[in-house]
Amino acid sequence: MRSLITTFLVFSTAISVMASEIHAPAQITAGKAITLQTSGSGDATFYLIGPAVASKSKVQAGGDIPIDSDRLEHAGRYVAILCASDGCTATNFFVSPAAANRLSFLVHPSRIPVGTSQGISAVAIVRDNFQNLVLKPEPVTFSIMAKDEKPVSAARNSENAFAWVRLTSARKEGPTKLGASIGHADEVRVVQQVAADACNLRIKASRDKHGFLIETDPVHDCSGNPVPDGTVVSFTESDSAGKTTVDVPIKRGVAKVDMPIDGRATITVASGVVTGNALEVSGGQ
Amino acid sequence: MNRLLPIILALVTLVLIILAWFQSGGVERRELQSASAPDKAVQLMFSQIKSHNYDAAYARLANRDDVDKTAFTREFEGSYGSLLTYASLESFDVSPLHTGDQESSVRVRLHYSTALGPLDDVRDLKVQKMGDAWKVFWPVNNGTKLPPQVIAVNYLRWDVIGRGAGDDWGVQNADTPQVRILSMNAIQRPDSVVLVGEVVNEDSVPAFVNVGATLLDAQGNEFAQESSFDKIAHKLLPKQVTPYRIDFPGMRMEKIKNVRMDVKALLVAASADPVIEVNQQKLETDPLGKKVLTGELTDEGGQVVDIPHVIAAYYDANGKVIWVSDGYVAQPLLPQVPVPFAVDLPPDIAKNVHSYHVVVNHYDRVAS
Amino acid sequence: MKAAAFRYGSIIAIVAVLLLGVVGYHLRAAAEDDLPRVEFNADNISPRPIEDLTSKSVPRDYALAWQTLAQALSGNKTGLLDGYFTGLAKQDFAQRINSQIKSGLQTKYTDHGHKLEAIFYSPAGDVMELRDHVQLDMQILDGGKVIYDQPVTAQYMVIMTPGADRWLVRQIQAMNGEKP
Repeated sequence: MRSLITTFLVFSTAISVMASEIHAPAQITAGKAITLQTSGSGDATFYLIGPAVASKSKVQAGGDIPIDSDRLEHAGRYVAILCASDGCTATNFFVSPAAANRLSFLVHPSRIPVGTSQGISAVAIVRDNFQNLVLKPEPVTFSIMAKDEKPVSAARNSENAFAWVRLTSARKEGPTKLGASIGHADEVRVVQQVAADACNLRIKASRDKHGFLIETDPVHDCSGNPVPDGTVVSFTESDSAGKTTVDVPIKRGVAKVDMPIDGRATITVASGVVTGNALEVSGGQ
Repeated sequence: MNRLLPIILALVTLVLIILAWFQSGGVERRELQSASAPDKAVQLMFSQIKSHNYDAAYARLANRDDVDKTAFTREFEGSYGSLLTYASLESFDVSPLHTGDQESSVRVRLHYSTALGPLDDVRDLKVQKMGDAWKVFWPVNNGTKLPPQVIAVNYLRWDVIGRGAGDDWGVQNADTPQVRILSMNAIQRPDSVVLVGEVVNEDSVPAFVNVGATLLDAQGNEFAQESSFDKIAHKLLPKQVTPYRIDFPGMRMEKIKNVRMDVKALLVAASADPVIEVNQQKLETDPLGKKVLTGELTDEGGQVVDIPHVIAAYYDANGKVIWVSDGYVAQPLLPQVPVPFAVDLPPDIAKNVHSYHVVVNHYDRVAS
Repeated sequence: MKAAAFRYGSIIAIVAVLLLGVVGYHLRAAAEDDLPRVEFNADNISPRPIEDLTSKSVPRDYALAWQTLAQALSGNKTGLLDGYFTGLAKQDFAQRINSQIKSGLQTKYTDHGHKLEAIFYSPAGDVMELRDHVQLDMQILDGGKVIYDQPVTAQYMVIMTPGADRWLVRQIQAMNGEKP
């Protein structure tokens, strides 16, 4: 009986010494080289399957298998497989993201009317040097650099790689810079703050050689910002002969149109959903 | 017997030839060539126009001395890339209006098939008896043409530089314009459900806009989807408003529980030129008894507008959009030369119309 | 003779129709079975509330993304990624498929379902972050021989962004299970 047990132990020890195994380090960081340890002996095939890699190479079982840093740049789940004459053995390991050092910075909208409450959204996605999402909380610094004003900044901790802020646009038109920074990353976006809807839209009429020249006063929004050139102003003239409409873009701050008018006519003006004053004019001989 | 067979064959051949002559409209042609009646004269002329035989058609005019042959041909062949250059005269109907011994008037309805759908044109023509035949008196087009000159245009133009294909996703891009549906009204028509309303470009940049609608049943399931297609002015400058219309043919209002509206806008390059004035707009009844909105379009810039497209929104006394109609204009808009237009609307809706708003869309060979 | 031929012909035709019906039914069933089951939960989404339509299209498009991914990795076809992947996700999986082709490898997934939780939806509606708890069987084959066959329970962090008519997977990253 004793000899039987001894034979069994010796045999099983021999088997365990001969069987191939593969071991990965407990902590692996993206972009860092590692060495996998194997046991067993003889020729073997080593496979590495990861988020963006699937490689195959000849190795010697029982030796160390070095894996270069460039094959471990993607954070996520990897499978290392060692196939020797006695079969295949595998180990799974995770590669964690490296330190936060990059940002994807999404700012919307790129144009916004002045004084729009909470109208600007800035979202920063925290990444490492290899574009992996850094999921542990990291402080992201958001800053606003308005024209002719001191920069203002605030820090927000990322949550699952995302940090965000919402901002109200300024009262004054013009570009404003929004920044987000972490590590060596410092991203800047520009938001164009444009005049809001026209306010107190007013027209005046003067006689010219074709009839009447109808002209707006310089068109401003309610904060006094000039409404951008190209904005359409609709003029409507109604008289006994019918109705005439012209959609005219603002040019150098005003919109104007020539209208031949016979008899009494009413002229109205509108821009988008905003209406202005009405004029009564009398034309003809 | 030997002589009988050739005679029979000759007789059969003769009968067949006579039958073929009748079949191919020989009688009609003979009658038309004689132009023995006013409506026949008009019919003959338009038959020749339909087969592009403009020389023969021109020869049928009573006032050839006043009508330029090239201008006459252009009235049917189109010019400057106008809609008629992408059209063919499919058919026409002639009906006498007044018949006299020496002078008559005849109405002709022309049905064109164009690249943008069917186009109808109605003309009332005077016909004069000259000798034995009737000849058509063609209205002389005295339309003014702007003398050669340079027109300075300094309206804004918007160009767009977008994010490149190789740029990272996070890199800032120029956002799509903000557009908003101002109103939507669902109307049951005898053969369809029609959604009408208006859209505004609220942004400070031009937008290419399209409106879509999805119909939902009582269970919230989608069962029909349509878009405004060409019943909208797609290119909107900042703060410009356009009517839109979406047709659901064969639909009944009772089936619809809810409507999901979807407005899509793209940032596009655009120019504020040309400005098109819409003059002398009037709601009236046309010679065919239809309710129409008529007016004149004037291109205030220096660029020829190839295919003008008129879209009109009609409002009731409460300012609600109750109908939208549209129509393509066959003639091009030459700089500063007024061109008439007419778009029709259903008579039952016309009686509730309190005011209206016309926008002009245009398609040009170069610009679009 | 003619009557017999007609009778046999009819029988063959009926059998053929029945067979086609059965095959068609099975093909349809197989196509439906291929689409992974996705349980979607957007109760904790912030800061933007999810729209009705988005809450339907995100799980549908995510399931279709996994379906096409499984097909792409098993058939080594990068073209299949175009439908539901974009950006880094598309780039990484294409790289993986290209290296599979180079090494003669294939990966086969048997998908047992996803628990997909939406956790962030940007105020502008242009990006959504989701957490996916997935169970699948993963097989790796070298020249048709199975070298790895194990059940996998994994958590993925997923970034999806809206495309012209669907939501696209922009980034997908496995987490090691630890709470971030």
